[in-house]
Amino acid sequence: MTSYFPWLTILVVLPISVGSSIFFLPHKGNKMFRWYAICICSLELLLTTYVFCYHFQLDDPLTQLEEDLKWIDIFDFHWKLGIDGLSIGPILLTGFITTLATLAAWPVTRNSRLFYFLMLAMYSGQIGLFSSRDLLLFFMLWELELIPVYLLLSMWGGKKRLYSATKFILYTAGGSIFLLIGVLGMGLYGPNEPTLDFSKLTNQSYPVALEIILYFGFLIAYAVKSPIIPLHTWLPDTHGEAHYSTCMLLAGILLKMGAYGLIRINMELLPHAHSIFSPWLVIVGTIQIIYAASTSLGQRNLKKRIAYSSVSHMGFTIIGIGSITGMGLNGAILQILSHGFIGAALFFLAGTSCDRIRLVYLDEMGGISIPMPKLFTMFSSFSMASLALPGMSGFVAELLVFFGIITSPKYLLMPKMLITFVMAIGMILTPIYLLSMLRQMFYGYKLFNVPNSNFADSGPRELFVSICIFLPVIGIGIYPDFVLSLSVDRVQAILSNYFHR
Amino acid sequence: MEHTYQYAWIIPFLPLPVTVSIGFGLLLIPTATKNIRRIWAFTSVLLLSIVMGFSANLSIQQIHGSSIYQYLWSWTINNDFSLEFGYLIDPLSSIMSILITTVGILVLIYSDNYMSHDQGYLRFFAYMSFFNASMLGLVTSSNLIQIYIFWELVGMCSYLLIGFWFTRPTAASACQKAFVTNRVGDFGLLLGILGFYWITGSLEFRDLFEITNNLIHNNGVSSLFATLCASLLFIGAVAKSAQFPLHVWLPDAMEGPTPISALIHAATMVAAGIFLVARLLPIFIAIPYVMNFISLIGVITVLLGATLALAQRDIKRSLAYSTMSQLGYIMLALGIGSYRAALFHLITHAYSKALLFLGSGSIIHSMEPIVGYSPEKSQNMALMGGLRRYVPITRTTFLLGTLSICGIPPLACFWSKDEILNDSWLYSPIFAIIACFTAGLTAFYMFRVYLLTFDGHLRVHFQDYSSTKNSSSYSISLWGKEVPQAVNRNLPLSTMNNKVFFFSKDMYKFDNNLKKCIRYFNTSFEKKYTYMYPREVDNTMLFPLLILVLFTLFVGSIGIHFDQGVIDLDILSKWLTPLTNLFHPNSSNSVDWYEFFTNAIFSVSIAISGLFIAYILYGSAYSFLRNLNFINSFVKGGPKRIILDQIKNGIYNWSYNRGYIDIFYTRVFTMGIRGLTELTQFFDRYIIDGITNGVGIASFFIGEGIKSMGGGRISSYLFFYLFYASISLFIFLFFL
Repeated sequence: MTSYFPWLTILVVLPISVGSSIFFLPHKGNKMFRWYAICICSLELLLTTYVFCYHFQLDDPLTQLEEDLKWIDIFDFHWKLGIDGLSIGPILLTGFITTLATLAAWPVTRNSRLFYFLMLAMYSGQIGLFSSRDLLLFFMLWELELIPVYLLLSMWGGKKRLYSATKFILYTAGGSIFLLIGVLGMGLYGPNEPTLDFSKLTNQSYPVALEIILYFGFLIAYAVKSPIIPLHTWLPDTHGEAHYSTCMLLAGILLKMGAYGLIRINMELLPHAHSIFSPWLVIVGTIQIIYAASTSLGQRNLKKRIAYSSVSHMGFTIIGIGSITGMGLNGAILQILSHGFIGAALFFLAGTSCDRIRLVYLDEMGGISIPMPKLFTMFSSFSMASLALPGMSGFVAELLVFFGIITSPKYLLMPKMLITFVMAIGMILTPIYLLSMLRQMFYGYKLFNVPNSNFADSGPRELFVSICIFLPVIGIGIYPDFVLSLSVDRVQAILSNYFHR
Repeated sequence: MEHTYQYAWIIPFLPLPVTVSIGFGLLLIPTATKNIRRIWAFTSVLLLSIVMGFSANLSIQQIHGSSIYQYLWSWTINNDFSLEFGYLIDPLSSIMSILITTVGILVLIYSDNYMSHDQGYLRFFAYMSFFNASMLGLVTSSNLIQIYIFWELVGMCSYLLIGFWFTRPTAASACQKAFVTNRVGDFGLLLGILGFYWITGSLEFRDLFEITNNLIHNNGVSSLFATLCASLLFIGAVAKSAQFPLHVWLPDAMEGPTPISALIHAATMVAAGIFLVARLLPIFIAIPYVMNFISLIGVITVLLGATLALAQRDIKRSLAYSTMSQLGYIMLALGIGSYRAALFHLITHAYSKALLFLGSGSIIHSMEPIVGYSPEKSQNMALMGGLRRYVPITRTTFLLGTLSICGIPPLACFWSKDEILNDSWLYSPIFAIIACFTAGLTAFYMFRVYLLTFDGHLRVHFQDYSSTKNSSSYSISLWGKEVPQAVNRNLPLSTMNNKVFFFSKDMYKFDNNLKKCIRYFNTSFEKKYTYMYPREVDNTMLFPLLILVLFTLFVGSIGIHFDQGVIDLDILSKWLTPLTNLFHPNSSNSVDWYEFFTNAIFSVSIAISGLFIAYILYGSAYSFLRNLNFINSFVKGGPKRIILDQIKNGIYNWSYNRGYIDIFYTRVFTMGIRGLTELTQFFDRYIIDGITNGVGIASFFIGEGIKSMGGGRISSYLFFYLFYASISLFIFLFFL
């Protein structure tokens, strides 16, 4: 069944186009902009849900809701959109997190028009990226992401915001060069006219050397975004300085673009190179889990500690992708979603508490649980979720990755045992840094010498945001088939490439 | 009859609504929720009673019908992998669930009063209900993943409850320590589960047992790998049940409220490790090395726990070490393959230790108004003494609990402990000697706790004799502003001063020392509290104590062999028939009463001698003996005495410093992780990030250099042009 109504185009264009009219609104205070932005976001989310409910067949592993419009004819550049089981999860995550981030950004008062417009522009770019079916379009939307983030960071950030913003833009733009090389190399290779279409490229085969070069180019771009060590140092700086609503978008969605691209392009289009590179991915992922966890333990800055924890968690995704098994890949996708929720929530809570007590260093904090019990509750819950407590989404994802690496036919017994062992050590390190963070922040007792030390607890808006994120975390943890049923068929289709060739 | 089994899935879910509704109520409508707090407590007791009814019904059916029921639902379905959820009702799970619910109900009733003035009353009940739910889920789970899930959930409950009074720094570090130590165990458990999944391709118990046994008999799997995986599984049990290398969290866990210590850290959660080993015993029994390993760990823990309990001053801490030692007995019993004795001791110990902890809770509760609300003082046995006059009912119950743990005949623990000791003689004489010796030690330290608490005179009021000018040096606020290391820092001083409470050698100069040590302990109290005396606690707290006394008195009878004509099986053996048949298909349950009596007399005499020594050293007989100048003549010994003193001091220091194990762990692991952290932090900051920043700075300098060169001055351009032209000319002329 093909729907002729261009649902996806509407979904992609709606936020940025309607959002740009925020500049024409009469200036009647921030309240109006807030409500306008939140209305657009929720409208978009509702529309997305509607489209996915009624125009998307779950049991069909093929690309659906496809749209194909010619854009530039000379090199076969199309406005080609379409979704499958792999991209539906990240798109829904994007809608959800962006809506909540807009809600979380209410305290932003300085130049709020531009702020909300940039958030909406990011919204468009992300949905477009996750649904694009054309390589060059993918690249363009990938680049489109950078500008709003740069502006959000450099205008509403903390003290060192210019340094962080420059670092962010240089890192990611540097990565994008390799992405562009890969895109052009892949598109221009071939006997006849250039092709940039995903579905045509899937069946194309390359000489091994070229495939490895292309794979490597894409890998660098995704490694910057994802991040994979040693290209991760932009992340703690960026997260440490950005406003917490930006952090939610960064941790919740932007990091997921790297992992998504790794599955979408490297796994799907370059299977040979992926099976050559996958042991290295697994090794790097394992090192990353341990390395980032132990670095996180050494951070004094609260936000940086959480940032390193997300680097550590992305290690599981990389291992899942590298394991080339159905379970591992499902686990990786689940980890993308689960960390999207948990990371966003942790940054949100960290940001709100830092704003209240006006401290960022952990060793200066302490004893704020008495004035802020609700914040304490939510922070503890999400820390537990982040350390993969069973019953929450992180546990299922990590368990699936573990099973994926155990059952993978690609690796021998000894390497498997070693990798599993080291991954499991990460399981010990994770509670150490998260719980000591909790202890330093909340436990104990401290007399605040600040004259107006009557900190307000979380208000209803903040409580709403955290509970909204908490429900899917619990939901996925208790019944993971909600999400797995989306991606399971598609994963099977991707993996069938590896066994047929 | 079938109906009860069909609805057994409800067991873990029944206590859950209380948690959820209290949690959301506290977040969303705190005031309204707090106003009806008693209703919440009542609801949680009610729901747990329903569960108890259910599990009692199931247990009765197990005793009569003795069959195993299992139901499964699928949880996640992939093409190549499916996880299932289900429940398994067999004798083991029915025993555990009845244990959890009975102790749970009593503890909930008790804590209604104990926590009634606490701000976190509702939070406490939410955590408790959640703990009950997850513990019941753990014992009824039907595959390893489910066990792992609930295993971590009870760990989290324990974390939350240890850190319940989160303003105390000691509680904060204790709960983190407990969670991380347990996570080390979970690490082993998860790896073991994955290993067995890799070997057998199944996570469900019965498939797992069959496939593993087949593989081991047919040499289908390398025995080294199987042993490794089984030992990894056992590590999980080691951490949860506070066995030797990973026991460090249990004594610190006493920072939590006392009802928690009774429920979680004495009766149920620490029994989860035992439960796991018992559940997986069909696997372990096929691998003899693992069984030897289990019994070795068990016997080390038995001895270590008992020696560490010898010199603790904190009443809950000495009970905690006693718990550890008794769990070691159970682990030893499992390791030597006597399944029945292990479960029997698990049941009897749970009730007796819950009784002791609740008793200590009521002592603490009655001491708190006098000495202040710091655990340093209200749990300090050095400040107690002579409480038998003030809290007679608690004293009686506590005495019965103590005697039960010591193994005095009519009480519960005697029967089970005797069985374990007998079985250990059959297994290995060395282990049996250690176990018997420890039985004596158990009697000694338990009676020491009893005597220090209830015998003699209330030592708090000795502070009247001491001057109060030093007292301000060591003040502890209610919210615990004290630094965590204070105890350690004061170690040399306190060992000097408190030797009197351990061995009798300083007793003849008690009068001098007493003032000193009392001055050390008793610090800034208000003057008005000086003449208060402890009062007996309320009836709500006494009721659970009395019920537990009944259990302690009579629960031993389920394991006693009654000669009733043809069938001379006791209830417990009947209960466990389907499981024991798995291990000993042709074991006869005949009992030789003569042999039983000789063994019993031996173990009882050991216990009584322990009691007697404790009574000599700590009892009120002290004054009596001093009057006779008995001690003075006794202690004048010459050179022999010095050696004896050194030994005593050695034991005392070993015990007081917790066997130096905690210090060792701190030195090695904490410092090691800190060092690693600093290293990676340095590496990350100065090398990985340094390269990035270096590139940035280098490009900045290059840009600046080029800018200054290309500044637009014709003369500099000419200069560079001529300079390079002359250099190239130079090279051209001379080198070519």
